[in-house]
Amino acid sequence: MYDVVVIGGGAAGLAAIHSAYDPTLKLLLIEREKTLGGILKQCIHNGFGLHHYKEELTGPEYAERGILSVKDLSFETMLDTTVADVEKKSDIFHITIMNTELGEAVIQAKTVILSTGCYERTRGAIQLPGTRPKGIMPAGSAQRYLNIDGYLVGKKVFILGSGDIGLIMARRMRLEGAEVLGVAEIMPYSNGLTRNIVQCLHDFDIPLYLSHTITDIKGIETLEAITISEVDTHFQPIAGTEKTFEVDTLLLSVGLIPDIKMFDSLKFDVSSLTNGAIVDQRYQTSIPGLFACGNALHVHDLVDFVTEESEKAGRFAKDYVLKTKAEKRQLITIDPGDKVRYVLPQYLDITQNFDETVLSLRATESALRGTFNIHQGETLIHSKKARFVAPAEMERLVLKRSDLVSEAPLKVSFEVGT
Amino acid sequence: MKKEMICIVCPVGCHLEIDENLKVQNNKCKRGEVYAKKEILNPTRMLTSTVRINSKHQARVSVKTTDAIPKQSMFKIMEMLDDVALEVPVNLGDVVIKNVLDTGIDIVVTMSLKA
Amino acid sequence: MYDFIVIGAGISGALITRELSKYQGSVLLLEKENDVGNHATIANSAIVHSGHDPEPNSLKAQLCVRGNALYEVLEKELNIPLLRTGAFVLAHDKEEEATLDMLYRRSKTNKVPDVHYLSIEEARTLEPNLSDSVTKVLSLPSTKVTYPWEVALSAVENAIMNGAEFRKNQTVTSIDYKDGIFVVKVNKDECLHARFVINASGAFADQVAAMLEQEVPYKITPRRGEYFVLDRRVKGFINRTLYPVPTDKGKGVLLVPQVHGNILIGPNSVFQDSKQDITNTKDGLNYVKEEASRLAKDIPYNQVIRTFTGIRATSTYKDFYISSSKAYPQFIHVAGIDSPGLTAAPAIAEYVVNDLIKKLTPLVRKTNFNPYREKIKMFHDMTPEEKKEAFKNEPRYGRLICKCEKVTEGDVIQHIHRIIPGDTVKGVKKRARAGSGICQGGYCEVDVIKLISKELNIPLKSVNYYHQDTPILLKETKVKK
Repeated sequence: MYDVVVIGGGAAGLAAIHSAYDPTLKLLLIEREKTLGGILKQCIHNGFGLHHYKEELTGPEYAERGILSVKDLSFETMLDTTVADVEKKSDIFHITIMNTELGEAVIQAKTVILSTGCYERTRGAIQLPGTRPKGIMPAGSAQRYLNIDGYLVGKKVFILGSGDIGLIMARRMRLEGAEVLGVAEIMPYSNGLTRNIVQCLHDFDIPLYLSHTITDIKGIETLEAITISEVDTHFQPIAGTEKTFEVDTLLLSVGLIPDIKMFDSLKFDVSSLTNGAIVDQRYQTSIPGLFACGNALHVHDLVDFVTEESEKAGRFAKDYVLKTKAEKRQLITIDPGDKVRYVLPQYLDITQNFDETVLSLRATESALRGTFNIHQGETLIHSKKARFVAPAEMERLVLKRSDLVSEAPLKVSFEVGT
Repeated sequence: MKKEMICIVCPVGCHLEIDENLKVQNNKCKRGEVYAKKEILNPTRMLTSTVRINSKHQARVSVKTTDAIPKQSMFKIMEMLDDVALEVPVNLGDVVIKNVLDTGIDIVVTMSLKA
Repeated sequence: MYDFIVIGAGISGALITRELSKYQGSVLLLEKENDVGNHATIANSAIVHSGHDPEPNSLKAQLCVRGNALYEVLEKELNIPLLRTGAFVLAHDKEEEATLDMLYRRSKTNKVPDVHYLSIEEARTLEPNLSDSVTKVLSLPSTKVTYPWEVALSAVENAIMNGAEFRKNQTVTSIDYKDGIFVVKVNKDECLHARFVINASGAFADQVAAMLEQEVPYKITPRRGEYFVLDRRVKGFINRTLYPVPTDKGKGVLLVPQVHGNILIGPNSVFQDSKQDITNTKDGLNYVKEEASRLAKDIPYNQVIRTFTGIRATSTYKDFYISSSKAYPQFIHVAGIDSPGLTAAPAIAEYVVNDLIKKLTPLVRKTNFNPYREKIKMFHDMTPEEKKEAFKNEPRYGRLICKCEKVTEGDVIQHIHRIIPGDTVKGVKKRARAGSGICQGGYCEVDVIKLISKELNIPLKSVNYYHQDTPILLKETKVKK
């Protein structure tokens, strides 16, 4: 019986096992690939680590820091091992694992941390019109093929979505000799960092079409052309604004979704706003002893915050398992209010001792200046001024235990202006 | 002739204009002016890419320049990387090309791969 | 020289080939694509209809009801999946209720078993998500659901086991008739000879027929149908097929539970010129949504994992056109096979052999015909004992590569080395389901490409996505100049 099992050995899982470590506990880290590090291994560009390590690293370098940090800790690691299912039966998690050494086997654990990362939203999910030829794929898949396997997936490329993966791939494919004809973004603003707009698009004269989406795809067997159209304020295509590009590849950078649906027997509450688990401030899901962190919980724009969050999740999981008495939770909700898309955690467990907790949230609109407010019931209990707020950038508020005035639900809102 | 650019020094993202006399406009702070001038006189970039390797886990290993290199040399360096073939084991920081194009900057491996 | 050449490895051609393989004589099945069933057979509603809808005394009515019964036989012999879901036809007002009454009478005439009306309360108990606007329900217990593509694949594989020959990537480019023998030219160079030609080329049937016939008695007028696919986790949202009452445009937009747990929503019905253009349109999908809301409430569109379009090979002839050519009786048209073509297919095969070919030539049954085709059991579906045994013989069963649909490397390898190999990314997807889940291959595609490359000993950049010459890994980087 393991005390803590961490599923997923990327940035989140490494940080979680690092902080869950205790010489008295039996820990296991499970990773489906043959090496640790997760998605960072294919993110070969730099820009990682500025918050956490105070220096600029590439993705693989950031991953290697995480791997080094746990090198001297004694815990078990299973590589090339996939979790097929997780079930909780009378307080014990039964984890069905699969690998080529054991075949299918079941292990048991007192607590489980989900650090399984996220997957890329597909064309099916966004219901892209047109034909379905070869040549359309998520940008992250193209990134893997290029950076790990050494293959370009196309020679003439268009990219839908201006998230950072899309922008990074525009530059990468251009540098490797492909022609990148443009990037279309349905929103009137880019979802990527300004630095990536400048250094991935402007540097290579790659046009960015804001308020544009794909309205047709041509080609029966192989992608031949895509058509983009400008959209109105309701995101409806405007007739007469069509532009057609002859391309053999369309990369989609249209969103990431926490990858937590593969365990059929594990039924925990999932947020329709984050697509991840609903958690309290200890990153504990609706199932006691089941924790979630990293992109498996909600999609982050900076890995540094994945590490920070996962370290906390690991610590809370350790505390949970070390505690001998059964716990009773008393939860108050933390809801997104005006101009806030989501807040995490969704619950505060007020039976827990805590001085302060970090709320992660995203605003629904951009603003140069504004104020985030936390209300408890009708009472304003916390306010924080913020600059350069954007939906693509996660905001963080520190809520102190001493801020609370009652047991009423909390609501976080954003006010544009000073 | 005026050139337009977006400043990336801070999140404000000023839309700068710079003319042939290196006069910068639309900047909200001094750092914008410095950025615009450098972008005209000596723009530099970090370059990250891959090189071939005989690892059983992956056919390429990631590399980077140890510092920002002149922007116009990016494609030239990309071409030079075509000629590199590494063998495992490699360690993070191993130099792949020393003093690339006489810039004083090295190309190094950014990932350790065991044999 | 062959006795029979069948053109087209869709579900009709596949089952006709298998039917012919029961008899002595040589059979060749030609397919222009690189796999079986790449057109209408893979992109349809997957329903084995009861036969409530076709006009009485039509070939469609006769073969639909017979075909439905024959699926029970195919299930045993070919080990195809068959869900006995039943179906509801839903009326919303007096006028639609009148149509429902007409369907009820028609079902009786067509000898559809067990058809009956249900009270709204009874219907709602069985289908809690039924739309609130439904006023009357006709229940069709004999309606079933299958995986049509697997039916075609298993039929062709079984035919091959029984001596038939299958050739893919063969486009018929001309057909001539000389001295009682058909000369079928493929890919513009090779000439094949046969005593009989069966034209089961789906949407292309009129073009293929025109290679021989002066006058083709029908024209194919392709009809597009668009669908949404919901993730398998919606299983149970509906438990049986829901039909609206039919209109002159066809059966309308349906909700269909699928054998792997997914739910299909569609299709619309739009005539188009192209026989290949499987475009999804915004208007088409919006229409499907609107119509589907009359069947069920609160359909979880946030669970859509894919949209697709199928082409129906509707012809200008009102019924199926299954007949010997007037000028060349040994040339047999199997054309205009739109709905209920999937249901009718096993009966079409019987009809072509028993009612058409046997009238022209005596056929002798093989004594050693083996009607059975073993299914490849997926690791996920095995009992614990079977899993142990399978893993002992093939450790790669231990590596799960598609976690959405629980597909192991061992499963994929079995399908790569099958009689008709799954040698493309989509070929593997259709056989082993790797890539059919929520991430649509985001995780496993790379593993599938590498497995195909390794198992078939071909370079990575020769592994195709689907059709010929569609490699995903197009160009290797960092190659010395």
